Amino acid sequence: MAGLELKNIQKTYGKVEVIKGVDLSIEDGEFVVFVGPSGCGKSTLLRMIAGLEDITGGELYIGDKLCNAVEPRDRSIAMVFQSYALYPHMTVYDNVGFGLKLAKTPKDVRDQKIREAARILKMEHLLDRKPGQLSGGQRQRVAIGRAIVRKPEVFLFDEPLSNLDAALRVDTRMEIAKLHADLGATMIYVTHDQVEAMTLADKIVVLDAGVVQQVGSPIELYQRPTNLFVAGFIGSPKMNFVEVTVEATDGDTVTVSSKDVASLRVPATSAGAKVGDKLTLGIRPHDLVPDNNGAIVGRVSLVERLGNETIVNLELSSGAAWLAVLEGDQPLRVGESLALAAEPAKAILFDKDGKSLLAPLS
Amino acid sequence: MRSRASMFGGIAAIAATFVVFVIPFLFIILMAFKDKQQSALRDFSWPNGFHLFDNLYEVIKTRNWMMITAFINSSLITVVSVTLLIVLAAMVGFVLARRKTRWNGLIEFLILAGLMIPPAVVPTIWLLQGLKLFGTLHGMILIQVAYNLPFSIILYRAFIATIPRELDEAAVIDGARPLDVFFRIILPLLWPVTVTNIVVQSVGIFNDFTNPLYYLPGNQNATVQLTLYNFQSQFSTAYNLLFTNILLITIPPLIVFMFFNRQIVAGMTAGAVKG
Repeated sequence: MAGLELKNIQKTYGKVEVIKGVDLSIEDGEFVVFVGPSGCGKSTLLRMIAGLEDITGGELYIGDKLCNAVEPRDRSIAMVFQSYALYPHMTVYDNVGFGLKLAKTPKDVRDQKIREAARILKMEHLLDRKPGQLSGGQRQRVAIGRAIVRKPEVFLFDEPLSNLDAALRVDTRMEIAKLHADLGATMIYVTHDQVEAMTLADKIVVLDAGVVQQVGSPIELYQRPTNLFVAGFIGSPKMNFVEVTVEATDGDTVTVSSKDVASLRVPATSAGAKVGDKLTLGIRPHDLVPDNNGAIVGRVSLVERLGNETIVNLELSSGAAWLAVLEGDQPLRVGESLALAAEPAKAILFDKDGKSLLAPLS
Repeated sequence: MRSRASMFGGIAAIAATFVVFVIPFLFIILMAFKDKQQSALRDFSWPNGFHLFDNLYEVIKTRNWMMITAFINSSLITVVSVTLLIVLAAMVGFVLARRKTRWNGLIEFLILAGLMIPPAVVPTIWLLQGLKLFGTLHGMILIQVAYNLPFSIILYRAFIATIPRELDEAAVIDGARPLDVFFRIILPLLWPVTVTNIVVQSVGIFNDFTNPLYYLPGNQNATVQLTLYNFQSQFSTAYNLLFTNILLITIPPLIVFMFFNRQIVAGMTAGAVKG
């Protein structure tokens, strides 16, 4: 078993910098998820760990071994691809056993290992079939089987669920979580789906434009994002933002207001904020409640009634579009005016560089 | 109306095919049954007697059983050069499709040049003599590989581009070395194109007349097509034996065609359209 250590990892294609110096340490047995929008470099980073892309700069350690120039086969990793990448001309049995065959594992040992992997993934009945005869979910299973049969120290998943339908995705997600619990191996998982990230990860790494924005546990990222990007990326629906002006500062609270928001006292470090400064206020749609004396007033522009909750699109007086997720069924009409109160403790202020001004944890 | 028109079209096509391909073949068979006098008339008459076995025996034993040597030589040249062609062409196609370098344009130009520019015979003989390969079977094999490589590469290249790159990568992660990736993953997946290559190239090489004539002199080096000259000369031609000879050497390509027939068209168009 092994952890990983990335030290100032860089990747450039010609003059284009794709990964701009990533430092990251992953502990043995941890489930780490890389999330970020398309093109942020998360897959490239994973492929560099796998050895499919050269590392332009920096050092990659798997276990204690410097792996920059080590061939993929010697890194004791296994990878599950988005397209599964099963060998179409081989049966499931041969697909799963291909790596062992190349490693010249004796036939009886190989057979035993293949059957054990098939048993773990409940696909014994599929062993004689070819990939073309399998459904999407079954192919995914074979791809995972091909990874686990070699008992690697690090599993790499490159958006493995994005080709599955919604129901199957939930099932497979749970199976991957179970697999992680059973095998206890280090797993690195790339996805753009933040639900997958939140549910699976011990640790989430948020990437944007080749830079790590924040590393932390899912709840930490949700509650204490370090910047505007993370705040906007984690959480669904997206966090609402509005520009505000500082009215007063007081130790660990800052009072802000704007055209849209009547004065709101938000817990925040007041170190960098002076009266009159422009800041950005972020409030999650779930933290808004209807209140006739609420600080935020807007006009309803769209109502989505889901039964258990109601998603309301609001247009504030400055023209900003906000979302509110209200408990239960709210019989609101388009065009109506709606006043909302926000829980100040859950609101977050960001300075003009986008850095969050979170109050230190007590 | 339309179906009637297409029916007439079909009948016309069958009739044309019959005239162009089947009648000459029937003529060959008829001639092979005739004796020397009757065959000299070169008409479509029914054979006067059954002379096929006499003709066959005569053809095979002429010039110290040259036919046997020729069959061995031709088979050897065909099998070895087609094998080399398939492995080399698939390798070139694989590298061209997978590795993008600034040389790709030049390499593709050279491939096309190899297809378009006719080979020069005399310099080639001079080169072969320098290499001590002139008049040897392996020299002939190399010539066939070189002449036919561009066509095989072009057949392969389009198809390899449709094989997803993730397959190579999955194999690399599974511990495959470059040759493992090629021989265990890529080459088996190329089977439809390989069949086309086998048929087209083996028929071409087996039936080749001019190249063995230039590069492979000597009685012990005869190939099947050259045995035709045993019965044809400026002043006398034994037509019955000539046509028996033709009949004999047509059989192997015919067998190859019948064997792979169905898969040829599939291979020709495979990779042309992504499907």
